[in-house]
Amino acid sequence: MNEIIVNGMSFSIPLFIIAVGGIYSERSGVTNLALEGFMGAGAFFGALFTALTAGVFASTSNLPMYLSLFVAMAGGALYAIIHAVLCIKFKANQVISGVVVNILAMALTDFLTSQINESVLGHSADKFILNVFPRLTVESLTGIPVLGGFFTNAYIFEFIIIAVAVVAWYVMYKTRYGMRLRACGDNPYAVDAAGCNVGRIQFAAVMVSGALSGLGGMCFAYSVFGHYSTSIYAGYGYLAIAALIFGNWKIPATLGACLLFGFARAAGYSLIQYLELPGTYSDLIMILPYVLTLLLLMIFSKNNRAPRALGEIYDKGKR
Amino acid sequence: MSEYIVEMRHVTKRFPGIVANDDVSLGIKKGEIFALLGENGAGKSTLMSILFGMYEPDEGEVYVRGKKVETFSPNHATELNIGMVHQHFKLVSNYTITENIILGMEPQKKKFGFLPVVDIKNTNKKIAELSKKFGLEVDPTQKIENINVSMQQRVEILKMLYREAEILIFDEPTAVLTPQEIEFLLEIIREMRRNGKTIILITHKLEEIKQVADRCAIMNRGKLIEICDVAETSTKKMAELMVGREVSFTQEKTPCKPGEVMLKVENLVVKNADGFPVVNGVSFNIRSGEIFAIAGVAGNGQVEIADAIAGLAPAAGGKVILDGQDITNSPVKARNKMGIAYIPEDRQTWGLILDFTLSENLLLRRYDIAPYCVNGVLHREHFTEKSEELIEHFDIRSGQGGQTIVRSMSGGNQQKAIIAREIDLDTPFVIFVQPTRGLDIGAIERIHSQIIAERDKGKAILLVSLELDEIMNLADTIGVIYNGQLLKIAPAETMTSNEVGQYMMGVKE
Amino acid sequence: MKSTKKKSNLFLTIMGDEKRQKITIPLFAILLSLIAGAILMLSLGKNPIEGYLSLLKGCGLMMKKNYAGGKGMLTDFMSFLDIWTPMIFAALAVAVAYKAGLFNIGVSGQMLLAGFVASLTVGYSDLPAVAAKPLTIIIGMIVGALAGSLIRLLKYKFNINEVVTAIMLNYIFQYIISFFILTYYVHPITRQSNVVSDASRLTLQNVQIGNMKSVIPLGFILAIVAVFALSYFINRTRVGFELKAVGANKKGAIYAGINANKSIMIAMALSGALAGLAGVTYYMGYVASIQPKVLISTGFDAVAVCLLGNSNPIGIVASSFLVTIISKGSIYLNSSLGLPKEIASLITGLLLLFTACDVYIKYRLKKAKDHLEYEEKEAQRYIEKYGEQKKEGEQ
Repeated sequence: MNEIIVNGMSFSIPLFIIAVGGIYSERSGVTNLALEGFMGAGAFFGALFTALTAGVFASTSNLPMYLSLFVAMAGGALYAIIHAVLCIKFKANQVISGVVVNILAMALTDFLTSQINESVLGHSADKFILNVFPRLTVESLTGIPVLGGFFTNAYIFEFIIIAVAVVAWYVMYKTRYGMRLRACGDNPYAVDAAGCNVGRIQFAAVMVSGALSGLGGMCFAYSVFGHYSTSIYAGYGYLAIAALIFGNWKIPATLGACLLFGFARAAGYSLIQYLELPGTYSDLIMILPYVLTLLLLMIFSKNNRAPRALGEIYDKGKR
Repeated sequence: MSEYIVEMRHVTKRFPGIVANDDVSLGIKKGEIFALLGENGAGKSTLMSILFGMYEPDEGEVYVRGKKVETFSPNHATELNIGMVHQHFKLVSNYTITENIILGMEPQKKKFGFLPVVDIKNTNKKIAELSKKFGLEVDPTQKIENINVSMQQRVEILKMLYREAEILIFDEPTAVLTPQEIEFLLEIIREMRRNGKTIILITHKLEEIKQVADRCAIMNRGKLIEICDVAETSTKKMAELMVGREVSFTQEKTPCKPGEVMLKVENLVVKNADGFPVVNGVSFNIRSGEIFAIAGVAGNGQVEIADAIAGLAPAAGGKVILDGQDITNSPVKARNKMGIAYIPEDRQTWGLILDFTLSENLLLRRYDIAPYCVNGVLHREHFTEKSEELIEHFDIRSGQGGQTIVRSMSGGNQQKAIIAREIDLDTPFVIFVQPTRGLDIGAIERIHSQIIAERDKGKAILLVSLELDEIMNLADTIGVIYNGQLLKIAPAETMTSNEVGQYMMGVKE
Repeated sequence: MKSTKKKSNLFLTIMGDEKRQKITIPLFAILLSLIAGAILMLSLGKNPIEGYLSLLKGCGLMMKKNYAGGKGMLTDFMSFLDIWTPMIFAALAVAVAYKAGLFNIGVSGQMLLAGFVASLTVGYSDLPAVAAKPLTIIIGMIVGALAGSLIRLLKYKFNINEVVTAIMLNYIFQYIISFFILTYYVHPITRQSNVVSDASRLTLQNVQIGNMKSVIPLGFILAIVAVFALSYFINRTRVGFELKAVGANKKGAIYAGINANKSIMIAMALSGALAGLAGVTYYMGYVASIQPKVLISTGFDAVAVCLLGNSNPIGIVASSFLVTIISKGSIYLNSSLGLPKEIASLITGLLLLFTACDVYIKYRLKKAKDHLEYEEKEAQRYIEKYGEQKKEGEQ
């Protein structure tokens, strides 16, 4: 049981923060299929940071790992500018832009990873090896049935992400900026009439989206892969989109969707181990989140309410 | 310092193809209700959009409180205490009334002494007080999507008041309201004057001006015709000025010789996306050789009637019978083949496929029949042949003839293309919705004579127009729509435009 | 101010009117990405001209210095045609959906599914070539069409965004097929699926031409036929006309009496069928087995190819030619100049990026044009107004 919780959480929580990133962009009215690319690009910068600073910190220090999370956020935000410029400034089709940004992210990071490995770090490889992210066990709580599992062997980044998510929730629902952002997704003309700069609000939202995706991507690199390579483009960004649609573009409901995906996956793996099935059966487990997404979307899509102005190209001159 | 709070001097604003405002000069006094009267397209809204900073004038100056306005932006206008209620409300549908009102200048408080949060709770109270003060009672916690249009308008007004606007511009505020709601709104406007606000009312409804306004500027085709004192000027005089000194041409027209009933509409009901009946039990007949015109203020359900007859909007109730056959539930194509041609209101959204060539658009109704299509294969040479014939006959001008992409053509020629295509179908029944919208005089004249020529060929014609002139010029029978119902159906010669106007405003029963 | 005006004039003259822009804008995007690629190569210390030439050499479009025994420019070229084929089909698949206003991002998954099902049913049978090859094609098309229709069906019945569906299906196909391969059809040494029979394969292997042994991609002939068939379908048939109308303006199409839902369904089925053809020409042509857990990038690159080719079948031949040169040639680029293979996908990615900017370029061009016209008018009015006054003054 504990194992399911540990594995479920370590998958759900990074997925969740990527989905929150998606919510930021989509609630501001910018369709975001680029989460996959943001995630990979952000993680690339984070991993690059650890690779480049390997000699700077003491080998036992955990500090570079924490710093790498910040670098991943900054990198994700930086990379997200491409999507923001294409969608907001160049008024390109947002779906196409998302796909383009993803393809470019993969090509660019793949190229840079092997180039930097070869020319800067002096050995040829297509990945950056990462250290094991510290885990936390709260001894006093582990005894509690079920709930204790959440405090056993949990990656510390899970708590960091939860904190970041709370801040993200606060900003979106409680502050001026959040209020304007959500208004942009419903009626950008109203926001413009209220004297706010719609383009700037959306631009910031897409960058936040990149930052949060970068954070999630870095954590995936630590937890699921243990290294950074192009294998990180495993579709988790798209899964996050499904989660946020399923969560009806709301942060708490999206957390529920992510937990569902993560736990379904973890439970599946445990089941295979328990039944002592061959390793190939893991492929069947891999499809669980995707199948679940489609099934759930079948039930919920009809009643779902996307932000009203989502994907609409905002043109100030139009009335 | 002049006596005027707002002064516009020699303002000219051009848009591609038209001069929206041509050397307009006027002054508005503090504390008065100043009306801007004119027909659709007279340039009223543009002029006030300049005052509100949405456009910059090409020539001329604007002074507010004696100071020249240098920067034109809505933000700057708000700083000058100018507010505007637009014709299309700018509201966030999933926000509460309070949230909509404070958007852009949200009051903050510090939670736990340091965390800034938008203070909704206290603002709710403030908004409730504000709304009470002006008699605009609203529940600040209601969401926009759950309140009706007149409530939404109150929210727009409160938005201005919350921003401490002193000069309030209303752009056609009554177009979407019921008579009772209009009464109420006019009362609120008077109340605001009592509070010392300056009101600018853009409208084309004489009745309202007579009721509330102090002075009235009359505009026609971008030019300021006259500024008159409302109390001393008769409605008749204002109407004359509004229609224009440029005597609007009257169409030569032989008397109508109606034949059999071609189209019968019985108790038609059409609902909008929200399930609200925008057409509510409309019945009328159109005979061959007759132009039946529906007059009415925009948004009263006239377009929906046309859509329902053409099959673009489903009828929620009632019947549509064409030449004895019930077509209420027939698909568009079947209706078309049975004899309906339709010139829709929105030519770019419905009437044309802008990225197709002119030739393809001209054949949009016939591409699937011989000789244009045989066994599922299109015969482009016949497309070319037919479109050349239509281009020639209807004088459609474009860069590369039939191969021109329609998007690059002028609005007038786009409209000509639609009319050419639909008239050429030679159906016994033709619907024209706003056929001359946005066109210049020459084009209008040509289209009018085409409509009459079709009638004289014995076709039944349904004309929907917002231009009273057009209706008075062309109609054999006039039906006046108000709030989704036909208030009056009568032969055109028995009604004056004044009477029609009164029905349009729902003031005459 | 003055200089920027002049520059935009020049740009406008080069780019031409809206019709010409359909060609000039993609060319502009290509130019930009080639320049970017050249800068990349320069930064790695290589001569970009040599780099681009080696791309051509790798594709059998130019003579290499020397060839291994039994190989030559022809073998390289045939191999190039072999990998070009699925790209043409995949881009046509994206294009036909795009014409109807839909985005088929699921081409890779549809390719995989079609390739897998055709491998199972035909590839592992001992049918003679005469029956096996047509059957491979037919099964590929049917499976692809079903997969494509499924996306539309889910949108129509349940209102699920087609992009999300397509992506979910991509992963579902990928992992389910990977499971079946690894469980039942895996080759113990290659760890790929068992090789399909030569009879079923759409590319003939080891054909002796002169003193060389080459492949002959039969699928390429099919692809060229498909290009013209699709071009004919879109431009000359009623159904194609309707499909295009729905994509260009759904409301306008409904007004014209077109059944928009039916048109979209046809488009997705057709798109899937073309993706299926891409699948069989890849998995049972270029290669003969499927690598588990891998979704090839062809379906995604096809988006670039389609956009670049203006979703016009003939345009796609040109754009897929270019993109395939970059990707196929990158192997020789790597072996001859030591430049990293990844540079190819990077250039393609940049090409895609610049192509996505087309709306903006169009917008700028239109603005420049409007500005010019406005200035002309203003000047004319000035002459009318003041020119006449001047005359009066003279009198």
